[in-house]
Amino acid sequence: MGDLWAWLIFFFTLIALLIILVYQLMCLADLEFDYINPYDSASKINKVVLPEFITQGVLCFLFLVTGHWVMSLLSVPYLYYNVRLYTRRQHLVDVTEIFNLLNWEKKQRLFKLGYVIFLLFMSLFWMIFNALEDDDHSL
Amino acid sequence: MGTENSNRPNFPFRPAVTPFATPRSTTPFTSSGSIVGSEASAFRPAPPTASQFPTPPISSGSLVGLEHPSFGPPLPDRSNEPVRPSSLPPSYGLPTAGPFQRFQTPQFPSAVQVPPGPPPLTSLVGQPVAPSPSRPPGGPISSSPVSLLPQSQMPSIPMGSPPQSMKVGQSYTNVSPPSKDSIFYPHRPHLQSSLPPPPPMGPSYMAAGGNFQPTVPGHPNTQSDSAIYAPPVQAVPLSSQQGGYGPAASLAPFSSPQRGYVPTSPVVTPAGLYSRDQMQHTVIAPPMGVSQGLAEDFSSLSLGSVPGSFDTGLDPETLPRPLAGDVEPNSLAAMYPMNCSSRYIRLTTCGIPNSQSLASRWHLPLGAVVCPLAEAPDGEEVPIVNFATTGIIRCRRCRTYVNPYVTFTDSGRKWRCNICSLLNDVPGEYFAHLDASGRRVDLDERPELTKGSVELIAPAEYMVRPPMPPLYFFLIDVSISAIKSGMLEVVAQTIKSCLDKLPGFPRTQIGFITYDSTIHFYNMKSSLMQPQMMVISDLDDIFVPLPDDLLVNLSESRNVVDAFLDSFPSMFQDNMNVESAFGPALKAAFMVMGQLGGKLLIFQNTLPSLGAGRLRLRDDARIYGTDREHTLRIPEDPFYKQMAADFTKYQVAVNVYVFSDKYTDIASLGTLAKYTGGQVYYYPSFQSAIHKDKLRHELTRDLTRETAWESVMRIRCGKGVRFTSYHGNFMLRSTDLLALPAVDCDKAYATQLSLEETLLTMQTVYFQVALLYTSSSGERRIRVHTAAAPVVTNLGEMYRLADTGAIVSLFSRLAIEKTLSHKLEEARNAIQLRIVKALREYRNLYAVQHRLAGRMIYPESLKFLPLYGLALCKSTALRGGYADALLDDRCAAGYTMMALPVKKLLKLLYPHLVRIDDYLIKTSQIDEFGIVSKRLRLTAESLDTRGLYIYDDGFRFIIWFGRSLSPDISRNLLGEDFAANFSKVNLSVQDNEMSRKLMRILEKFRATDPSYYQFCHLTSPAECIIYREYVWLVTNHDLADRQSMFQLSEIVEHIGSSSTRCYMLRGFKVFLLMISFVNHWIPSRRRSERKTLSRTLSNDLAPV
Repeated sequence: MGDLWAWLIFFFTLIALLIILVYQLMCLADLEFDYINPYDSASKINKVVLPEFITQGVLCFLFLVTGHWVMSLLSVPYLYYNVRLYTRRQHLVDVTEIFNLLNWEKKQRLFKLGYVIFLLFMSLFWMIFNALEDDDHSL
Repeated sequence: MGTENSNRPNFPFRPAVTPFATPRSTTPFTSSGSIVGSEASAFRPAPPTASQFPTPPISSGSLVGLEHPSFGPPLPDRSNEPVRPSSLPPSYGLPTAGPFQRFQTPQFPSAVQVPPGPPPLTSLVGQPVAPSPSRPPGGPISSSPVSLLPQSQMPSIPMGSPPQSMKVGQSYTNVSPPSKDSIFYPHRPHLQSSLPPPPPMGPSYMAAGGNFQPTVPGHPNTQSDSAIYAPPVQAVPLSSQQGGYGPAASLAPFSSPQRGYVPTSPVVTPAGLYSRDQMQHTVIAPPMGVSQGLAEDFSSLSLGSVPGSFDTGLDPETLPRPLAGDVEPNSLAAMYPMNCSSRYIRLTTCGIPNSQSLASRWHLPLGAVVCPLAEAPDGEEVPIVNFATTGIIRCRRCRTYVNPYVTFTDSGRKWRCNICSLLNDVPGEYFAHLDASGRRVDLDERPELTKGSVELIAPAEYMVRPPMPPLYFFLIDVSISAIKSGMLEVVAQTIKSCLDKLPGFPRTQIGFITYDSTIHFYNMKSSLMQPQMMVISDLDDIFVPLPDDLLVNLSESRNVVDAFLDSFPSMFQDNMNVESAFGPALKAAFMVMGQLGGKLLIFQNTLPSLGAGRLRLRDDARIYGTDREHTLRIPEDPFYKQMAADFTKYQVAVNVYVFSDKYTDIASLGTLAKYTGGQVYYYPSFQSAIHKDKLRHELTRDLTRETAWESVMRIRCGKGVRFTSYHGNFMLRSTDLLALPAVDCDKAYATQLSLEETLLTMQTVYFQVALLYTSSSGERRIRVHTAAAPVVTNLGEMYRLADTGAIVSLFSRLAIEKTLSHKLEEARNAIQLRIVKALREYRNLYAVQHRLAGRMIYPESLKFLPLYGLALCKSTALRGGYADALLDDRCAAGYTMMALPVKKLLKLLYPHLVRIDDYLIKTSQIDEFGIVSKRLRLTAESLDTRGLYIYDDGFRFIIWFGRSLSPDISRNLLGEDFAANFSKVNLSVQDNEMSRKLMRILEKFRATDPSYYQFCHLTSPAECIIYREYVWLVTNHDLADRQSMFQLSEIVEHIGSSSTRCYMLRGFKVFLLMISFVNHWIPSRRRSERKTLSRTLSNDLAPV
């Protein structure tokens, strides 16, 4: 039963990650279509960059401590990429160059989005699998 | 007879140029020798023959007659009988190309029109010639006249604006009235002036031309053009060595694109001239006429020499050199007379490709350089239009401003937008009837419908706040180094002297902050007698005392400001503080200015050492060459980018003046200027005694030039085309909106465009630059520049309409941006690669059909591109590695080049060099500027040790005292200490005529380029003040160029025969080598240097 709860937590963490990424992408898209100025866009995005990184790190850690080391391994590349960005101080959007980097920023976040969706489906699968298994046991 | 002989080496190679010669390049020497012999014999009687014909229809005959004497004298020493035969074989191989190219130029189009073009054409030509009686027997020789024939006919492929060239062609072949020509090509005189001045032999050619002209009156321009072009043909040392005649051939092609009459004429063998001319007209004319529209012009440079010889086979004299400076393209002015001047917009190519595939074959950047506020000469000011009653007329959909290219329909009630072709209603007040031809009857009173550039007065809806007053805020470092260098005094004096000239009286506002380890504010309220100084020492939490009185109206507080400026240098006289709290001071300035915006001038002397934004010494030799190299060129602390972004947001433009003999991290400080539309001024090791004038001039210009405040700029263009990236000093506020807190005439912005649709259907693309700004007088205005450019369908046309200046400008910005994320080397390679690709593409267009083996071909419009490309790679911002330029110099140059308008950039890359000693010695007053404005090539050959030269790159003068310059001149110019170390002497007016004359010259030069003050460096070959360049050149240029050469050598890949390949390889190498001599001189070591280089080159080629 505990496993199911764990999977539920993973699931919601991933949903949170997903929301953060979509939010950033929306800001970038708004910027591209001139609904928002670069200053606001950059500050909005930069505000959620660190929460995103932390959430992801926590998720990876949780996978590990709950013994789902395959999932943990799967999310390590993402974590590594984030850490690399952070150590190079490239994690924040540069407001002065935002238009030149727009495509790159979008591409990067779309990849992350795809990655998170993949993880989401994995965890969904495991959650249901666990739930059914629990069900079997309870019967 | 002697002269006849000497002529021979000249002549034979030209006839040798047979169209069919391609396979024959391997012809045994002996046989070719004999052929020459027979030819020579055929020649000798020829001149008389020519003169016997009273007046041939085209008087090349008489021309030839004239030529002989003129050709004769220079040659005898070179050609002697024994040498000649051996020199021929190579001449056989190479020249093939020369005439061929000329010959084929017409052919290309005809090939397009009539599928089996080339063969019929040649055969047509061949037939008429064959029966010609004077033709000497023998296959090869018979073919030679054949090749000549089309040459004389070639002039009918002059290049002009595309639509007209067709007509001209016809008029040519029909020998129809000349006037047409001159009407169609009003721009030719420019071309002409852009050509290199004739080498010594020129006059004789001119003379020949003079005779030529009356008989073919139709081509006055042509004629003079080619007359100027032609001289190199002779000037070329025809065969001081075997390969020597490469250059000769090379030159001829130069002129060929330029309606190559004269160069061809000497080639015309006198024999059979008459009949040939006739044949030409009857036989060739029809296809020619048809093909004119498609004909293409290009130039080529033959680079061959004999393998194994040490000689380069290339005469530097023959290389194209931009001695006329930047020539603004005006090919479009004739086609689109209502375009704005090329001062404001310059497209890299005026022919917009019609498809993406075509655009992808154009390897040069596709884009534009915009200088919205360029200084207009008197009489061409931009007209101001006030739409007070009607409101500004704009397209509903794309917001384009009304411009000369909109069309009015529906009897004047609607207008069609030229950019998005939407039909808009004409407002009632703007309505005017159309006359029979569809013109508005009030057209003449409406400058916005007739002029490409107008300034509209913007109503209130274009303002988010009342127009701001001009505002100048000064942030001055008063630490010990500022005091020691004397900077403070000069700045205070200059500002004081400019107070009356600041634009925008009486609204102008002014304020000051000084800082060392603390920040000093000055209360300058008008009610005070003396300014009050307030010191803030808490750097972590800046607070601004009396926020209302720090920024005051100049006219109200004038007395206080004067008092402040008088007292403040002395106030800090004894300041021993070495710290600099730059970051906090910047924040404080931002808090004061944030309300209004304006211009912030920063005077920084040391590395910021306290508070936010402190920087550290990071110029580390070890980082160079590693992947982290570029980090030195980008700001270290995000503080600066953030501040720059905030400044732009609040309409503050930052100009950074840096004075320091030590590392000051201009990479970081300059960021402030870069993103706020400002400028970086760098005065390394500033000493007021020496550099005072420079600082004073540049600060004065900065303060007093007409400035546009709180502006934004947008460039619109037609459907299917889109501007994708922008390069320069500004910040993007949305994808296509440039935020420019302050703009002036010294700033240009580059942009690249791309095609959005795979195929463009329209004929013309329109561009509209709109700059919305507040003038100093407090009026909100919109400056609108409109330009049209034709859409073209073939690559050749794109090349023809290319603009080297704009391309180089874009290249420089791209390269400098690339250095911010890559190594210097990669940035340089990227430029070279693109130039190579472009030239190769161009070569692919023509080389195969023209069989231009062994020569580099390039379009006339891009003839200086390789040179400028190389000069760019050797500019301060891009050259060498760690030791070749100080990091600060490099960054400052980078920031400066990012903002320079095209003309100034080209001058910086290829500076002026003039010799002045003759002028100084001459006592007469006449010809004041004539001599002085004669520019020399930047080669070591141009420098005579007995001369006195001025080298002017727009930023500095270098006065070069030749080693054997008469001591009188030195004494007169420098005073009694003339023998001392030149670099320590300060040039000042001496009490004699010669010195005053020199000063007058310098003044005159400075007046032509007032944006910067050209500081005088004195130098002599012995102690070169441009030591850095010198050393760099000696040590590094070999290496760098070798790389670029290898890239260039790729061009030859497709050429099969290894011998040709060898020619080419050598050729390109040598070509670049020669160019490399251009930008910097190697005074004394040049000769030996060159020798070793050519030796290494030939070693490289040994296997071939």
